Amino acid sequence: MINRLEATRYLVEQLCDEPIIASCGNPKFDLFTAATKRKSNFYMWNSMGMASSIGLGLAMARPDKKVIVLDGDGAILMNLNSLTTTAAKAPANLVHIIWDNEQYQITGGQLTHTSGEADIETIARGAGFKQALTVDTFAAFKKALSQILIQPGPWILVVKTDSSKALGRPPKNPVYIKNQFIEELRNV
Amino acid sequence: MEWPRKIVSLLKANDICSISFIPDSVIGKILKEAEKDPFFHFTTLAREEEGIGIITGEYLGGRYGVLMMQSAGLGNCVNALASLTIPYQIPFLMLISQRGELGEFNACHVVLGKALRRILEALGIQHYTVDREDELETIVGGAIKAAYTSEQPVAVILSTALVGWKDEK
Repeated sequence: MINRLEATRYLVEQLCDEPIIASCGNPKFDLFTAATKRKSNFYMWNSMGMASSIGLGLAMARPDKKVIVLDGDGAILMNLNSLTTTAAKAPANLVHIIWDNEQYQITGGQLTHTSGEADIETIARGAGFKQALTVDTFAAFKKALSQILIQPGPWILVVKTDSSKALGRPPKNPVYIKNQFIEELRNV
Repeated sequence: MEWPRKIVSLLKANDICSISFIPDSVIGKILKEAEKDPFFHFTTLAREEEGIGIITGEYLGGRYGVLMMQSAGLGNCVNALASLTIPYQIPFLMLISQRGELGEFNACHVVLGKALRRILEALGIQHYTVDREDELETIVGGAIKAAYTSEQPVAVILSTALVGWKDEK
């Protein structure tokens, strides 16, 4: 089983200044712990499910930058239709990573449908993604990243993770988060 | 019928180059006009709420977008407006074609059509209604300016008095 914080740390080490959209809940908590001083992080405090759509919009507006989305299984299940839109627009610079611990961890570990019959990689392929992978070991995660950070996308990477507590808490002021992110993105 | 062309030229004059939409017959007329100009990018949404996220991402990246939808679509957007674009102060224009008022034949469009303005008001979103073509420049142009000044979404409602209604019993 992959530890989400460890995987987030490894991902950030592979990046320079690429913008990251971090979904509400644990993806953004662990991103903040892994890369506290990194300014190209957009932390979402709610609007569950919107990370994939924000990532699509940013990828279309900035085709010169690789755009990373850090999502959760609960969040993407809430906006599955966005996968059809992203697959239709197919921005080559988009990497959509879904930490899948098969539960709504932050509210007490109630199971999501990925704990049962639902398979996000299969859904993504059905939505039209040509490149979608699922990994459940750290070695496979590293190998997948080495491919998807170089080859044109859009990519879906489903990462089966454990449910370790995420202790980081990014700034809570939405306007501060936005301004810092925009300023950094303009400079690079 | 000049309103589709006027709307498109006001969008372009204000540097709004990206159109995210769920179509209806009214939005379709605007799209048909905009498609003539390579200035515009189009994103067909599967659900209106996606457009809130997409336009937010575009704004973060320095591109300006408009969300075009029918009044029913606002119901699908409420939480994304309330918890993303309003607190993060993401400005953009929503162009909403009105259902449920003058000439409506479908009872299932009436409730949200009547609630439309009160939902926007409950969220604190400024809204303006266009009834006549000669109001377009003032209202659409003015709403765009107000949105980017206040860094908030602003809604322009295209009434059936402007665009007509379906001739169905």
